[in-house]
Amino acid sequence: MDQFIQIVIGGLLQGSVFAIVALGYSLVYRVTGIINLSQGAFCILGALLTYSLDQTFGWPVALAAVGAAAMTALVGLAIGAAVFVPALSRLPISSMLILSAGLLTLMEGLALVVWGSQPYALPSFSGEAPIEFFGVRMTTQGFWIAGTAALIIFGLWYLLMKSAAGKALRACAENPLAARLMGIDVPRVTLASFALAAFIGGLGGIVVGPITSLQFDTGRFFTIFGFIAVAIGGLGSFLGAVVGGLLLGVVLQLAAGYVSSLFANSLAFGLLLVVLLWRPNGLFASGLARRTDVREEQRIYPPIVRLQGRGALILGVVAVLAAIALPALEPSASVMSSLVITCILFVALLGLDIVMGYAGQVSLGQAGFMAIGGYAAALLATNYGWSPLAGCAAGMLLSVACAALLSLFTMRLRGNYLALATLAFGLLVDSFAVGLTEVTGGPSGLTGIPSFALGPLVFDTSIKMYYLLIALIVVLVLLLLGGVRSAFGRALQAVRTDQTAAGALGINVARYKLIALCISAALASLAGSLYAFYFHFLSPDMVGTPRSLELLAMLVLGGEGTLLGPLLGAALLTLLPTIIQPLAAYKTLATGALLVLAVRYLPGGIFGAAAERLRRLFAARGTSSSKAEGR
Amino acid sequence: MSAAALEVVDLCKTFGGLRAVDSVSFNVPSGSLTALIGPNGAGKTTVFNLITNFFRPDTGEVRYFGASLTGLEPGRIAALGLVRTFQSARIFPGMTTLENALVGAHLQVRAGPLRQMFWSGQSRREERALIRRAEALLELVGLSAERQVPATELPMGAQKLLEVVRALMARPRLLLLDEPAAGLNDSETAELAALLRAVRANNITVAVVEHNMSLVMGVADQVVVLDAGKLLASGTPAQMQSDARVIEAYIGQDEGAADA
Repeated sequence: MDQFIQIVIGGLLQGSVFAIVALGYSLVYRVTGIINLSQGAFCILGALLTYSLDQTFGWPVALAAVGAAAMTALVGLAIGAAVFVPALSRLPISSMLILSAGLLTLMEGLALVVWGSQPYALPSFSGEAPIEFFGVRMTTQGFWIAGTAALIIFGLWYLLMKSAAGKALRACAENPLAARLMGIDVPRVTLASFALAAFIGGLGGIVVGPITSLQFDTGRFFTIFGFIAVAIGGLGSFLGAVVGGLLLGVVLQLAAGYVSSLFANSLAFGLLLVVLLWRPNGLFASGLARRTDVREEQRIYPPIVRLQGRGALILGVVAVLAAIALPALEPSASVMSSLVITCILFVALLGLDIVMGYAGQVSLGQAGFMAIGGYAAALLATNYGWSPLAGCAAGMLLSVACAALLSLFTMRLRGNYLALATLAFGLLVDSFAVGLTEVTGGPSGLTGIPSFALGPLVFDTSIKMYYLLIALIVVLVLLLLGGVRSAFGRALQAVRTDQTAAGALGINVARYKLIALCISAALASLAGSLYAFYFHFLSPDMVGTPRSLELLAMLVLGGEGTLLGPLLGAALLTLLPTIIQPLAAYKTLATGALLVLAVRYLPGGIFGAAAERLRRLFAARGTSSSKAEGR
Repeated sequence: MSAAALEVVDLCKTFGGLRAVDSVSFNVPSGSLTALIGPNGAGKTTVFNLITNFFRPDTGEVRYFGASLTGLEPGRIAALGLVRTFQSARIFPGMTTLENALVGAHLQVRAGPLRQMFWSGQSRREERALIRRAEALLELVGLSAERQVPATELPMGAQKLLEVVRALMARPRLLLLDEPAAGLNDSETAELAALLRAVRANNITVAVVEHNMSLVMGVADQVVVLDAGKLLASGTPAQMQSDARVIEAYIGQDEGAADA
């Protein structure tokens, strides 16, 4: 019984932190309608800043905590003012979500540069000696956590419900246009809520710091568990955030205490899916019923660019010939290897482009499908003597099954849920790859994977692998091009921008989302398998969530909805760190920064910008010689 | 009397305390062009939303060529040949004018995604035929020069015409148009009127919510007048023009409380 109470108290403490993060989510969501994925990064920023002020600059820990919280709020203010708020009125919700994922990556990269990759621990605020009453032991830090959480909840309630500023904030949440007409400065209120959410997140990270291992990328766990908490409680509901957080904390601690921490992660994910299916709006739904016959987002969608007719054909042939001739330049082994990796990642990116660029569904778990494909093919080929091809096929089937399941849970929901369900899915696959040591080899990875082979043809060198991939890519691009230039592609694009209007024309929105996600999962899985066969080795960090975010950056940078554009993004982000070695340490930072910049300033990516310029050029020439090109 | 394409029977819908649609019944005869008119807030658009099941009616039923539409998803309703447009032109951003029109033909496409991916002959023939039909319709509304232009770059009136074209690409049996003339200039309105006559000549039944009286009086066979959620009158355009209740609903508003 004592143990049980002990675990429940531990769960409530952990839950308080989830609740704090969830409150930050709800605050920003209420005002902007955006799930801000960078929320968790503020937690880790606050905690690491406290560490530096305390340990490096010798401030007393209480002062360091206050200073760090203030600095976190300032960082939030700066990011909000420079990036988040100005982008709000210009980008569709899916792009805002990508932007916030970019901010998360950017802040992780910044933390990596400043603090390195080693774990940190904060000292407890008031000594390590635990307090004991009624036979239950509790660390003094627990009181700090519970007290801070209570203070934040009360403070937020007071601010929102009792103050004029809170009234303005609620007005913006209910109806931004009307609020603006009443003289409320909506961007300023939005900015204030974003900074406040950062401040709250920072506080949460600071008080939980002494009982958590802090690393540059711990932020994404706060992001995901905070989100699960807020999804359980109900997005936008403050009561829901608190209840959801506490509930999640207790359930996780009980599962970890009585079964295993691996099980706890699966349980958290399972809980998320059950809530999404059973009560899509959470336990305490706050959402207003919105009219569906009026378009919900009046936002700008960048046109999907495509080259048509003869121009595209010539360009394609030239590109393929150039790709075939490239090894003749005798690149170094590391560049050749980077080329192969570029091609492998491009296979995964083709899938991601279908689901994100065409169908407009943000998927943050692409690496999870790569992991499934990689581990399934590698294990079957290594331990059970399957042919590599059969291994690839098995991995693809498994990935498609997972994608279908995810889609089943999220397809009735609009907007952001698929993104978060896939992010949670990726982290779950990650934790299985690390935790199931006897199957996957754990963190040190799986070795002795054979080369890819088709019958007697063994692809055991970079060159052979490269040509195999070129052939595969040509086939895949032709297939997908056939699809996206016809009714299939038009249906996906209709779903992307206006699901209601698409449905009114008889497009089965759920079905097309499902197909897109399945194609995406199958291609990611194939890429993962080839990756394992190429390296003869697979470890969780090769196919972890950072990889998903990197793929996202490649896609957006290269150009969403262009099929070929992502190749540019993949080449850029793979080859640059290889050619300029010192860049490697800044890779995460650069990935995040490029992602943010591309979403914000380069709507069609590099490919889109180039194609648009070409189109203008031809259009100008076309009108002068009155030669319009058809399809 | 010819068979009814649409029978609206005793439809009711309440939003909060507001009776937006109050026991409305009317028929749309097959092959006719029926106009739904009434002052702002009369419930015209709500009736359309109830017919296509964007909202579920509190009570009442809608029958389409004799079959009940109760409980059908909007997509299923479209598959039956009942296609609607929206009050605010909802063309798809990011696509060209021609592509927008082609989306309308989604249910006409027989070759599945796999055949499309393999560039099958059937799929490509079908695609060419659809493009020809779309171009003919765009020609009819004067948009063929803009067919490769991003549809969001079209002026509002052209976007609304494009939405009608998109709905026609679905080969509807019954077309519901929600204020197609709102935002159209005179020449565009004339093009719309010509299009509507051409549509009816092709034996497609049309029901239209419209404020533009000259358009309604020029093309409608039957006019249904709603006021404050209730059916006020119905009949030929000429009858409605001289109906005292209709005139009062439009002109005598400031005395009554009927402006919801």
